[in-house]
Amino acid sequence: MTQAIVVEGLRKKFGAREVLHGLNFAVEPGTVFGVIGPNGAGKTTIMRCLLDIIRPSAGSISVLGQDPRQAGTALRRRIGYLPGELHLENRTTGRRVLEHFAAISGPVEQRHVDELAERLNLDLDRQTRKLSKGNKQKLGLLQAFMHKPELLVLDEPTSGLDPLVQQVFHAMVREAVDEGATVFLSSHVLSEVQQAADAVAILRDGEIVTVSTVEALRTAAVRQLRFSSTGTEPHDVGALLARVPGVANVAVREIKADGHVAGAVEATATLSGRVQPLVQELARLNLMDLVLEEPDLEEAVLTLYIGQPVGNSESPGSAQTPAHGHRPGPRAEGAHRA
Amino acid sequence: MPKVLPLFTKALTDSWRSTLAWAVGLSAACMLYLPLYPSIGGSAQMQDLINALPPEMTKALNYDQIASGPGYTQATMFGLIGFLLMSMASVGWGAAAVGGDEESGLLELTLAHSVTRVQVVLERALAIVVRIALLSALVFLLVLGLNGPSQLSIDVGHLAGAVLLFAALALLSGTAALCAGALGGRKVYGIAAGAAVAVLGYVFNAVGRQSPDVEWLLNLSPYHWAYGNSPVANGADWGAGAGLYGISLALIILGAVALQRRDVGV
Repeated sequence: MTQAIVVEGLRKKFGAREVLHGLNFAVEPGTVFGVIGPNGAGKTTIMRCLLDIIRPSAGSISVLGQDPRQAGTALRRRIGYLPGELHLENRTTGRRVLEHFAAISGPVEQRHVDELAERLNLDLDRQTRKLSKGNKQKLGLLQAFMHKPELLVLDEPTSGLDPLVQQVFHAMVREAVDEGATVFLSSHVLSEVQQAADAVAILRDGEIVTVSTVEALRTAAVRQLRFSSTGTEPHDVGALLARVPGVANVAVREIKADGHVAGAVEATATLSGRVQPLVQELARLNLMDLVLEEPDLEEAVLTLYIGQPVGNSESPGSAQTPAHGHRPGPRAEGAHRA
Repeated sequence: MPKVLPLFTKALTDSWRSTLAWAVGLSAACMLYLPLYPSIGGSAQMQDLINALPPEMTKALNYDQIASGPGYTQATMFGLIGFLLMSMASVGWGAAAVGGDEESGLLELTLAHSVTRVQVVLERALAIVVRIALLSALVFLLVLGLNGPSQLSIDVGHLAGAVLLFAALALLSGTAALCAGALGGRKVYGIAAGAAVAVLGYVFNAVGRQSPDVEWLLNLSPYHWAYGNSPVANGADWGAGAGLYGISLALIILGAVALQRRDVGV
């Protein structure tokens, strides 16, 4: 079966400014492919190229086996698109908006529309100008899904949706995939892609930093480790941690709380990679406490966004920090490196 | 169920309010201006007044011909207030059709559906043609209705020809607006281009009529092409009509080709 999307050497210039610098990626049919990257990384530009709204400066694109530049209307009928900035007409109702899009991209089963509207809890008879941002977004999703397209191209689909509706959206994506559709979606936050996507491309400044599965990202992601133990010297703990692959940022200190528990040690570190080797080493210790946090994918991605370790003096604006990146990305080396 | 010309029907139904408003405006203009003819154009006193005006001014306003019913209708309705209203309506529709739609972000989603860009331009241009035709037909009927009561003595055939030119002139500024909007993707480009065609056409006519030295300006004035021989009085210049409609068609095609070839919404 041919791939749903194949992008090779995609470049896009706006005037003298190149915003996509030769992208390559492919999306397998029947999967969910997520693109994450900060605002301005080029996510929307890729999607507009897929829909032939803008044209590549170089490179080739194949969507459902066809070049969007040549394929014309028949191809776009097979695609459902949600733009990143959804604009709707004001003096009309959701129902009329959908009727119009059904007229130009149908056929659409009315029953399916009603069903989706009900699931999304969207009143189609309200004036569009009175809809909240979230409700407009629901209408945008509905027009993308309603003709049961083979490919869904969704730019920041959960933007403005409350958590409950986000769950409905994820269910809709799953169902579409179960029926054989391919989904290409973007986000600037990982948690959204993490939930839906089989594969993730990380885009930074018009280049794909990495394409991997969410699972691989999770493995590569950094976990915070914190424990305390008794009966060991700090440098022994340090040495033990140094043997574990993927451990970094080790900081060990002695706790002398009341003096009669000799050699209580508290250590913090980060772990990327597998957990098993760490657990094996830690089993040698007399642990009082152990905390191994959920992998912080957000942070893993943030590291990739920023690219270079620390020295975080990227040009202003280009390296927009994702919302949850409250911690600095790559940390300085740990204090005690035994 | 595939609908026939979905973008055309949508453009028409979406604009019924503005079409109605312009229809009301044009009707009001007809009904205010034309019944005044017996007391203005036809009266000797008024003629004395006009004779007392600087000839440059009467020429600029085409008031040199208002002593006859057809001349009066030509100068006031078709040449001035009707021309103004129709041009405004047409430029507004033309600028909104593609440029305005793109600027507001709506065009992107339309183009993501199963339509071609050429189709978008052509169907929306057709919707402008139909709206202008409706308003022009209304003007035709109103003038025809007032012809007797207002003692205008206009020949119906001449009136029909004049209305066709009146529509052609309005369509030209509308298609110029459409084309500029399709080229540049901004509503303001459309407004500027459409207004330029209408206003410069009017000004070149007004100035060009002043003296033989600047007569060449008339050649640049679509307004003069259409109205140079006072079609309400003398019948339409069909060549001018064909030329105006031809240019409009060319502008529509140019707009479609331009939109087809460029990035949208950037």
